[in-house]
Parts: sequence; structure tokens; C-alpha cells
Amino acid sequence: MLNAILSNIVKDFRIEFRRRFAVNIALSFAAITTLAVSLTAGGVRLGSQTQAMLFWIILFFSAMNGLAHVFTREEEEGTALFLRVTSPAAAVYTAKLAFNIAVIFIIAAVISPLYVFFLNVDLVAPSAFAAAVCAGSLAIASSATVLAAIVARAGGRGSLFTIISFPVVLPPLWVAVGATRASISGSASTEGVIFLLAFSGALVAVSYMLFGHIWIEE
Amino acid sequence: MLITRLVYIFMPTAVIMAFCYAPAAAVLGETSRLLYFHVPLAWISVMAFAVSGVAAMLFLADKKSRFTYMEDSFHNSASLGTLTAVLATASGSVWAKLMWGSYWNWDPRQTSIVILLLIYSAYFSLRSALEGKPARGRLSAAYLIIAMTAMPFFVFVVPRVFPSLHPDPVINPDMKIHLEIEMKLTLLISVVAFSLLYFYLLEILNRLSRIRNAVEVQHHE
Repeated sequence: MLNAILSNIVKDFRIEFRRRFAVNIALSFAAITTLAVSLTAGGVRLGSQTQAMLFWIILFFSAMNGLAHVFTREEEEGTALFLRVTSPAAAVYTAKLAFNIAVIFIIAAVISPLYVFFLNVDLVAPSAFAAAVCAGSLAIASSATVLAAIVARAGGRGSLFTIISFPVVLPPLWVAVGATRASISGSASTEGVIFLLAFSGALVAVSYMLFGHIWIEE
Repeated sequence: MLITRLVYIFMPTAVIMAFCYAPAAAVLGETSRLLYFHVPLAWISVMAFAVSGVAAMLFLADKKSRFTYMEDSFHNSASLGTLTAVLATASGSVWAKLMWGSYWNWDPRQTSIVILLLIYSAYFSLRSALEGKPARGRLSAAYLIIAMTAMPFFVFVVPRVFPSLHPDPVINPDMKIHLEIEMKLTLLISVVAFSLLYFYLLEILNRLSRIRNAVEVQHHE
């Protein structure tokens, strides 16, 4: 099982490293939206709530561009059937989850400094900001991975992924916005981060149980 | 059928009690009678979601194909849930306009029902995208279960994001209904009546689905 997981992770990273499709699209989208927000703000200093809100809107929609790709690619290129035959469903899910966590962490690592730089964000508690971003990103990746598998089976329509993800991702988004605002204004607490980790754990556990039903053909 | 008879007894009783038996509330006046329709509708929209989730779980857990009809059950329950959520939102908005001055206020309960409507809308979008695919039942059931997993987190988050405007007599921290005895009884009868109506309509929809499936099988033969 461990070998199957590792070989799938290596395969996904190798394909992404060669093509850089998911990361490139997501990062370009993130850079464009960050610049668009900064330009349209016209140098006005935004409040901590607005800054946190805009940051997570940018991160969420950028991630939506990249996270579905891990499964839609397999369906589009006709490799999904081969993967079903050669790897157990649990190994495929674990590998795709690891890949998506890595993708969203890369996106967050690029967006965060860009956003702080262009939006003149004064971070009072940088470590709390980093913790909120990491935990929020983990929660988005945990819920989006299984939904990406469903969307890929439905024909990989991009807008469908956002539609079905949004209601599920809304609780961690709210909490992540709150935790980020607190880290910007200096009143950071660990409650938000714990909530995000608990949400990620619950979604991963349920996804792990459901993935066989989603992935295996009858 | 017993449920049909019970619906025919409880529904007229609930309507009569709402307009003739229950007194008008002290501050809310005659508008308080909306309580006996708005609260049961909101209750059913949530119950229908829970029923859909449980039916979806049974459908996926069924390895011997004993519960294949559960696909129709969770879909029909979601349809009824959507209808009641829309009606609860509409009746709540009218009441909010009368009491709080605007149709929409992002109160925690309003926010919760919008989220429920978003989940239902996402479910139906997914279902239509899967039209004609053999995996439609399994994938839409999986989505309902995932959405149901996220639901308890909303219960934790929403009241912390939005302050509540809903009155204390019905929704309060000590989980008790602080109403006059006549109003409490009318509300109880109304909730029972609407719950029975939901199960009655679900049974009719399930029967219609079974007939449609049988006709389709005959047509293919």
C-alpha cells in the first residue's frame, strides 16, 4: 500500500513538474487577482476584516483552478482506468490528497507575500497568520480533493467544481477569514486553527471511506 | 394507509389552531401566526436533508442491492427539502420585513437556510451533470454525505459570524420554548402535521419513481 501511495505521489509530481499546468494556472490567476485588487483599491488602506476576506477569496478561487486538475487530467488523458486497475483506491486518494495539499501550499506561499506587499498589510502576528493560512489551506485541500474526484467522473466541468465545493468549504473559509483578521490586528487565538484542523480531519476520514464508491467503476 | 389518515387529521387541525385557537403574541401581534407555518417548514427542510443523508448512506452501504430504491428516496427527499427551504425562506423574509424592517438581515438562521439551499442547488447541479451516467446514484449519494459531514461545523461557526435577531422564546441557549401554553401546543401540532405531510409526500414521490422505473424497464424490454 505504502509503495502504491509513494509511486502515485511521485507520478503526479513528475507529471506536474514536466507540464506545470495546475500550479502555473493557479499562480497566474492568483497574481492577476491580487494585482487587480491592489490596483482597484488605488492605494487605499483597507481594514483588517476586508484584507482577510479578500485574501481568502483570492486563495479560494485560485485553488479551485488547480485542485480539480489532479483528477480531471486522469479522465481526460484516459489514464483513469489504468490507475483503477493498477492501484488500490485508498492509495490513489492518499496520493491525490498529498498532491493537492502541496499545490495549495505552493499557491498560499506565493500569494501571501504578494498580498502583504501589494495591499500594504501590517502583520502584527506573522506566525499566527502563517498558522491560519496553513490550516485554512489544508481544510480547502481536504474537502476539495474528494469533490474533484466527483467532478472528474461528471465530465470535469470547471464551474461545477466551484459550485459543489463552495457550500462545503464555506465553514473553513469563514473561520480562516476570522483567524487571518485576528492575526492582522494582533488578537490571535488558537481556536480557529484547531477548528480548521478538526474540519480537515473529519473531511479526510469521510472522503477516505467514500472514495471507493466514487472511484471504482461498476 | 395510516399516514394518509393522520395527515388528513393533523393538517386541518394545525391550520384551525393557528388561526382560531392560538392567541396573537403580545409584541408581534397577528403576524405571530406565521410562526406555525414558518418554523415547521424550516424544520422539515433540515429533516429532509438528514433523511437524504441517511438514505444516501444506506444506498452506498448496500452491497447486495437490497436498497436500490434508496436512490429515488434520497433524491425525492432532497427535492422536498428544497421546496420547504424555499418556502421557509420566503415566509421568514416576509416576517423579517414586518418585524426587523428588511427582508434580509444575515441572521444566523437566515444564513443557515441559505447554506442549505446552496447545498441543495449544488446537489441538483451535480445530478444534472451526471444525467445518463451509471454512477449518478453513487456520486450524488457521496456528495450528500460529504455535505452532511460539513453541516455540524456550520452549527458551530454561523452563530459566531453573525449575531442573532431571532426572538428568544423559540430559539434560546437553554433550548426551551418560552411561549404561552396554547401557542406551544399549536406549534407542536403544526410541527407534527408538517412532518407527517413530508413523509406522506415522500411516499407519493417514491411510488411515482417506482412506477416510472417499472415503465422504463418495460419500455426497454
